[in-house]
Amino acid sequence: MGAIRSRVEGQESFVLQLHPFRETSLVAEVFSRTHGRLALVARGARRPHSALRGLLMEFRPLALSWFGAGEVKTLARAEWMGGHAPLAGRGLLFGYYLNELLLRLMPREAPHPELFDHYAHALDELARSGAAEGALRRFELRMLRSLGWGLTLDREALTEEAVRPRCEYAFVIERGVVPLAGAGAGAAAVSGEALLAMAREDFSDPRTLSEGKALMRQVLGHYLGERPLNTRRVFMELSEL
Amino acid sequence: MPSLLDELIEALRCLPGVGPRSAQRMAYYLMQRERAGASRLARALVRALEGLHHCERCNTFTEGGVCERCASGRRDATQLCVVETPADLNMMEQTHAYNGLYYAIMGRISPLEGVGPRELNLERLLARACDGVVSEVILATNFTNEGEATAHYLGELLRLRGLKVSRIARGLPVGGELEHTDIGTIAQALIERRPLEGA
Repeated sequence: MGAIRSRVEGQESFVLQLHPFRETSLVAEVFSRTHGRLALVARGARRPHSALRGLLMEFRPLALSWFGAGEVKTLARAEWMGGHAPLAGRGLLFGYYLNELLLRLMPREAPHPELFDHYAHALDELARSGAAEGALRRFELRMLRSLGWGLTLDREALTEEAVRPRCEYAFVIERGVVPLAGAGAGAAAVSGEALLAMAREDFSDPRTLSEGKALMRQVLGHYLGERPLNTRRVFMELSEL
Repeated sequence: MPSLLDELIEALRCLPGVGPRSAQRMAYYLMQRERAGASRLARALVRALEGLHHCERCNTFTEGGVCERCASGRRDATQLCVVETPADLNMMEQTHAYNGLYYAIMGRISPLEGVGPRELNLERLLARACDGVVSEVILATNFTNEGEATAHYLGELLRLRGLKVSRIARGLPVGGELEHTDIGTIAQALIERRPLEGA
């Protein structure tokens, strides 16, 4: 009975990362809409004629079925769901960046359906538009909110006063927005205008994009800790060639 | 300290697809039934490690500085086909549909694993493609996300250097029927459909 009860059928999911496992299998780190992040063993997925070959790929929505009670479950079936434009070119690197953020910051087996929808939306934006960096920043903001680390960007931290577009501010981790004058030495300046645009998730202005990038790097760096992101390093090296 | 047998089993596990049980089976087999073969294997490994190097031109393995294929005057040196591995290169050769030269990257860009241009030494490929003789580079990396990312970046870098760049086509297999083809392949074939050239 136990095995039958722990069987989960046809859950909308994305593969975040694949690792080779044993002689012919794979372990897939997946993000499922209803079950959050979990690890699935795909038995025989590396055999030459496995039905899973070419199916278990990142960035495409799959309906996954699995069973098992332990930390690592067993994949029973995977079906192509379609409807998403595939990532291409630079968008692929950006997609891997989103995956690495989720792998590093999202704990296993905690459902985050709204974060799942943000992720699916971000992939769609990356596949369809050239304004990809805005999609990354929007996803970062929404991810932090979904994980309980949401940023308040349109009000000052202590006074609760509304941020004014023509003033200069700084962002202090775990406090929030403070006037630049009172932020202490070394704090990076960010304009009120960019903060307000970010609060609206509007990255159409190039200034918002560049100030937003610096701010998000500071905030994410705090949660990611010492270990740098692999995707960021590879991306930088590619742009230097 | 591990016994000689344990050490052999552990050493055999470095082979792809060999877990502890297969390694144990191999070790017993070699020691019990195939001692001559084991000795030959040991010698061949040592000699290969000493004698095999990456070909200066195509990066696959060769005993000299340049492999036979790259040294042959009968290949079309204006075409360079980029593949991920020597196994991929052999598949391309079996088609008998290509007479140019090759470059094997020995991997692919894997952003999550931190494998990028430095680990793959892509500068070497760029230098090889810019030898002044190559005019077209054919990108034959895999149609996985990592293979696609690799092709995209190589394509941009090579085009910037004035080379003509093409990507092998993808779609239904030869003799393929829609009814029996996986949906992802059909979806991609639709996205990448091409106009029929009128006669």
